[in-house]
Amino acid sequence: MIRWFLRGVRGARVTTRYPRAEEPPPPGFRARALLDPHAVGEQDAERYAAVCLPGALRLNEVGLLRLDAGRCIGCGLCAEAARGGGLTMDPGYELAATSRQRLVVGGSGREAGLSPSQRSLTGPFRRSLHIRHVDTGSDGAAEQEIAALLNPYYDMQRLGLFFTASPRHADVLLVTGPVTRPMEEPLRRTYEATPEPRVVVAAGTDACSGSVWTAPEVLGGVDRVLPVDVYIPGDPPTPIALLHGLLLAGGRVREASPPRLESEAAA
Amino acid sequence: MIILEERRCDPSGLAAELERLDGRLMMLFARPSSQGTRELCAIVRTGDAVLRVRAPLGGNSYPAVTPRLPAAHWFEREIQDLWRIVPQGHPRLEPLVLHGPEEGEVRLPEEEDATPEHRGAERLSGPGVFVIPYGPVRSGVFEAAQFLVQTGGEDVAYCAQRLFFKRRGAERRICEVPRELAVLVAERVSGTSSVAHALAFSHAMESLAQTEVPPRARAIRRVLAELERLYNHLEATVRECEDASLSVAQAQFAALKERLHRLAGAVVGNRYLRGAVVPGGTRIDLDATATELIGSTLREWERDWRRVLGVLLRTDSFLDRLVSTGPLSEQDARDFACVGPVARGSGVELDTRRDLPYDGYEAFDVARQSDGDAMARMEVRFQEVDSSLTAIREALGAFAPGPARAELGPFAHDTALGAAESARGETLYWLEAGEPDALRFCKLRAASFVNFGIFNRVFDSQVLTDFAFIEHSLGLSAAGCDA
Repeated sequence: MIRWFLRGVRGARVTTRYPRAEEPPPPGFRARALLDPHAVGEQDAERYAAVCLPGALRLNEVGLLRLDAGRCIGCGLCAEAARGGGLTMDPGYELAATSRQRLVVGGSGREAGLSPSQRSLTGPFRRSLHIRHVDTGSDGAAEQEIAALLNPYYDMQRLGLFFTASPRHADVLLVTGPVTRPMEEPLRRTYEATPEPRVVVAAGTDACSGSVWTAPEVLGGVDRVLPVDVYIPGDPPTPIALLHGLLLAGGRVREASPPRLESEAAA
Repeated sequence: MIILEERRCDPSGLAAELERLDGRLMMLFARPSSQGTRELCAIVRTGDAVLRVRAPLGGNSYPAVTPRLPAAHWFEREIQDLWRIVPQGHPRLEPLVLHGPEEGEVRLPEEEDATPEHRGAERLSGPGVFVIPYGPVRSGVFEAAQFLVQTGGEDVAYCAQRLFFKRRGAERRICEVPRELAVLVAERVSGTSSVAHALAFSHAMESLAQTEVPPRARAIRRVLAELERLYNHLEATVRECEDASLSVAQAQFAALKERLHRLAGAVVGNRYLRGAVVPGGTRIDLDATATELIGSTLREWERDWRRVLGVLLRTDSFLDRLVSTGPLSEQDARDFACVGPVARGSGVELDTRRDLPYDGYEAFDVARQSDGDAMARMEVRFQEVDSSLTAIREALGAFAPGPARAELGPFAHDTALGAAESARGETLYWLEAGEPDALRFCKLRAASFVNFGIFNRVFDSQVLTDFAFIEHSLGLSAAGCDA
């Protein structure tokens, strides 16, 4: 054991100072798309929408392109097709919002039936949160990114964030996956077992919207089953994005801005 | 490109034919054939050949293969669930993929109308025997799966695994979406094996379209595939250290794993290497800066990995928990056609990279251990970390100038099999081309589908407290199994 002790105390500190300091991702990172709806012509808009598998890019009722970051898997195919013209990839790391509508640019999102914000989150959870994770059909990477929050680089316990084994001790349900049919009932029962006040966090693009998956096997987003308080897009959500979302659930940080590309023309 | 020898037989003679071939059953599935009929299709590996045995079905049942070939057990239950074709004489014909009308409902065997899974033949009864239903919402951060552990207290009398909570209909989606976007679905079947799934899918697509992948793309693919193997093997190591309550070791290996994900994020733009592999080559090119970054990062990484691993292999409390834990005999590994480190840990020498070479992999010595316990499976992974690092160095030195992607031509063949070795083992995609430039049928088989099938067998005379060690030494992906 002494060998492990020596290994443990050797070496430099690697832990991020986030949220007190910024933690930008590498420049070429594909976290989500950014769109300036007015900079994209109608023909181009149709072309970009055609390469968007999860349907994050769609034409809205007035023929403008609408981007829903809650459906974006960051594949970058649209930005490849656009080559900078009104559409680009955002390496951003703070992506979470308290409503689906806030993840949308180019339309209110109301016409897409997206839920408005549930309630204000500040208050009971400012200091510490106990988190119960529920997998409802993820691809398995989100679980590893959540587990990575315990590694020395992120060390989420320094922020008062803890995992708990039982929903009965949890403040937060951290849900990954697009909700498959067999997981609907276990998810509901876990929610019912969680005492109030409780916060539901949808972690990852598939949990936010269903991502590339569709009926009948998949219901399509956690908010089809439970009221969701925080949406963390990402495919999979990175550890920093998860930290941002969890701190947002505690009302300790501000939510992300919508995925709007500020074009030079607009400025 | 995998050349398949074709055989035909009557469904009533399928079991005998497969037994006669005496190979490894890679896949067994039903498919729609011409004129609205259906046929069974088995893909078997014998010696140097891959055979496709077709058995056109007249009715809705056929004599089961499983009594003679245990490896068919889950395949046949899947066929019954999805195609309503009954494999008669199957020793355990309960739903596998479907969760019945009470989907998601967890019930104990004591209940009157228990779910069919609990009516398993192996269920024990007697004073003091009880069932611990573990999952699908499990303590800790794990994928959704359920384990019904029968125990009298300490010894595990029987452990039944129940999967397919996460079935998202990947095969259906792959056929529905435009063919140039389908690889994005394959990448998300098992998100920690995105590269392997994208490769296996792309290999099948390239065979269908007779497209040659440029040399540069082959080298990039090898770099990405081995990088993926590294972080998956690290994940297994982190989990085993966590189970052994070695918090410093856990933190050190988790930090090593994080460094690999950061490298992936920097060179590909995604921490799980998504959006890189496409049919015809790779979407990203690795320039000199990227290859330099990979080379220098891995040099440092390898030094630190060796130091920490050296300490781990001298830590008695770690070795004590893994040695002789969760043994899988070579016979079982062969009978149930296990793949990947699970098979190699039990002395079965197989590796898709060597057996069905792709993307320029050269012949190499397959890591193998003979003990069949959790430690053997981990040692296979430790050896493979070394060979992956070597393979990356070799691939980085083999970057040919030229494009990294070839245009995928129109489909020239009707059917194709694609394979790749993920960190978990052989990953297979069977694709059929239909209407101009669309896929008509897809059957995928992740490594975890076969390796999950033996989960109940490694608990023979094991104790409850070893559960986590055994599970994590198998390194399974529920997402891949369920698809």
